[in-house]
Amino acid sequence: MGLRIKDDGSSRSRILVSSLLFMGLGHILYLKQYLKGILYALYEIIFLLLLPGIISKLRGMVTLGDPKPDLPVKLRDHSIFMLIDGVAVLALIFLFIAVYAISVRSALNEYRDYTIEKRFKSSKESMSRLMGKAFPIFGLVPTVGLILFFVVVPLVFSASVAFTNYSSPAHIPPNNTVDWVGFDNFTAMFGGEAIWTKALGRVALWTLCWAVLATFTCYFGGMIMAVVLIDNKIKIAPVFRSLFILPYAIPTVVSMLVWQNLLNGSFGTVNRTLMKLGLISTPIPWLSNAWLAKFTVVLINLWAGFPYFMLLITGTMTAISKDVFEAAKIDGASRFQLFRTITLPLVLYQTTPLIIMSFTHNINNFGAIFFLTGGDPVVADSTTTTAGGTDILVSWIYKLTVNLLKYNYASVLAIMIFIILAPFAIFQFRRTKSYKEGEL
Amino acid sequence: MGRKIIRRINLAVVLIILTIITLAVHYPIVYIISAAFSPGNSIASLNILPFGDGFTVKHFVHLFTKTDYLIWFKNTLIIAASTSVLTMLVASLGAYVFSRFRFTFKRTLMLSMLILQIFPSFVGMIAIYVILQRIGGFNQLWGLVLVYLAGNIPYNTWLVKSYMDTIPKSLDESARIDGANHFKIYRKIVMPVARPIITFLGITSFTAPWMDFIFPKMVLRSADKMTLALGLFNFVTDKKNEFTNFAAGSLLIAVPFIIFFVITQKTMVTSFGSAAVKE
Repeated sequence: MGLRIKDDGSSRSRILVSSLLFMGLGHILYLKQYLKGILYALYEIIFLLLLPGIISKLRGMVTLGDPKPDLPVKLRDHSIFMLIDGVAVLALIFLFIAVYAISVRSALNEYRDYTIEKRFKSSKESMSRLMGKAFPIFGLVPTVGLILFFVVVPLVFSASVAFTNYSSPAHIPPNNTVDWVGFDNFTAMFGGEAIWTKALGRVALWTLCWAVLATFTCYFGGMIMAVVLIDNKIKIAPVFRSLFILPYAIPTVVSMLVWQNLLNGSFGTVNRTLMKLGLISTPIPWLSNAWLAKFTVVLINLWAGFPYFMLLITGTMTAISKDVFEAAKIDGASRFQLFRTITLPLVLYQTTPLIIMSFTHNINNFGAIFFLTGGDPVVADSTTTTAGGTDILVSWIYKLTVNLLKYNYASVLAIMIFIILAPFAIFQFRRTKSYKEGEL
Repeated sequence: MGRKIIRRINLAVVLIILTIITLAVHYPIVYIISAAFSPGNSIASLNILPFGDGFTVKHFVHLFTKTDYLIWFKNTLIIAASTSVLTMLVASLGAYVFSRFRFTFKRTLMLSMLILQIFPSFVGMIAIYVILQRIGGFNQLWGLVLVYLAGNIPYNTWLVKSYMDTIPKSLDESARIDGANHFKIYRKIVMPVARPIITFLGITSFTAPWMDFIFPKMVLRSADKMTLALGLFNFVTDKKNEFTNFAAGSLLIAVPFIIFFVITQKTMVTSFGSAAVKE
């Protein structure tokens, strides 16, 4: 068995065609790698056997089921299951194509080796190579599988929902079906429905303001504390430092819920204390006035977030070489000049990536908003849109899905978050060593 | 002489300001400790001065006898510990392969992981909900662990891979000459050297699920599957305001958390910093 091939490279196209024709065919016919070829062929056969099921799932994804109001609920088409099965099947097809490509490339590589060595590998050699390849496959299967089915499929599904009418009250399976609606949700959110457009503009703007303010205050709050504690030759500086870290060590859920209670307008301790002291006569609406609540969340976030940057900047500052300072001092620089011309630029340069990470984290900082204010206070459009005065995009997504069951609009918001964050991801990517060294 | 006095005054002012900040920073912390030991129930009934109401441990007794606090604790511990162990295992294995092998689609895979890690995983919340229902992981602790694990992998595999890249490849090569296979090299050589980053990974992937709220809220529905975050949150919802019980429950979990944090903060922050800065 085994067709003959030339070892001068002229049979490359025959290998290519046979490998493309059926997975593993090139390995079996020409390259005498029967085990590998059979494994590949088996994979394709299994895929072909599953094909009818795959096609019906894909068809389901396109139609999303037909309304069958006369059937009992259990027997009706469940559009969302159909959609998710369709996406999962697409992932399987994707995987199949990837393995197909790997098989073709493997056949071509084997042939190249043959043209160089002028002989086939012995079965022992190819076995040991196969075993060597078994480890990376074994190592990557959990990673690829989990990412594909628990990260990629959900994301693709979410993106797809933005193009359907999956929402309460008329389109919630299993009672009713869901249909593809094209860009309707986007046009509704961006101009079509005034109340939603207004809410979206308001929330998106506040999300950006919030992320900038939260990052900025925590960073410079932390920096001031770091500088003061390093600069002033305070003997008990380490004590202060450990004391200041405490808020950072408390889980966000706990600390934000505590603040929510302390700042409560009518019975909160803060107001009661201030009134006892005679500083105010009427309670301050910390969390119930839309503007004051915005200020409060930033302030409380500063409380929770400055320790991290304080520690970080302290670390960076102690790493700056003392010689630089000595030289500058000899030149007669004042302490403020030292800080402005040496410390600040160096620290800023060193911590820029972390500022950006913190910014992206704050865009998604569900906990700081949701547990402190729940997104409240209520504003003009809140009854329809559920978006309160301090809601950011992620907390609004949560409310849209959990309270209002407007999955379609929630998905539009998810896509918006992606658009906001994508440039930062690209920035981070370009910073990685692998990119700089040309590995990627 | 004059300069010395000015410096003294300066120092005093700074110290006073620092003390005021310390008080402000610790105000809620002190208050929650006092609330946990105060009689009374809602925050409205509490004295504005910490420890102004007397002292009682009845809230702790209440937690252990009248609520499912221990069950919540057990569930949370199971979830956090399994997530942590599995993340360390899967991420280190994947990172080792990415760091040491060349294979088709390596580039594509690494690039997609980098892009995927920017999404907050609850963007795909509805899908995860449906998938878990499809595979029987709904209202199951393991379903939640699977969700956390998958969300952890993209970023952490990169993190560990970058660290492993700094371990010289000559180490593995000499071991291979001695006849060690890949698994042995991974377990006996690369893993011990990469221990700092693996430890860091273990800690961060333990603490994140420990206090997470959204996913447990979505995935776990029955009372016997509740976690600490859910249970504590329910103490202070609009319907009831059991602030003192909440305070007692929070104190019990925050104390070990803080002790642990103070012990590890130095390594945590330096790892945080170096992992991000040096990359």
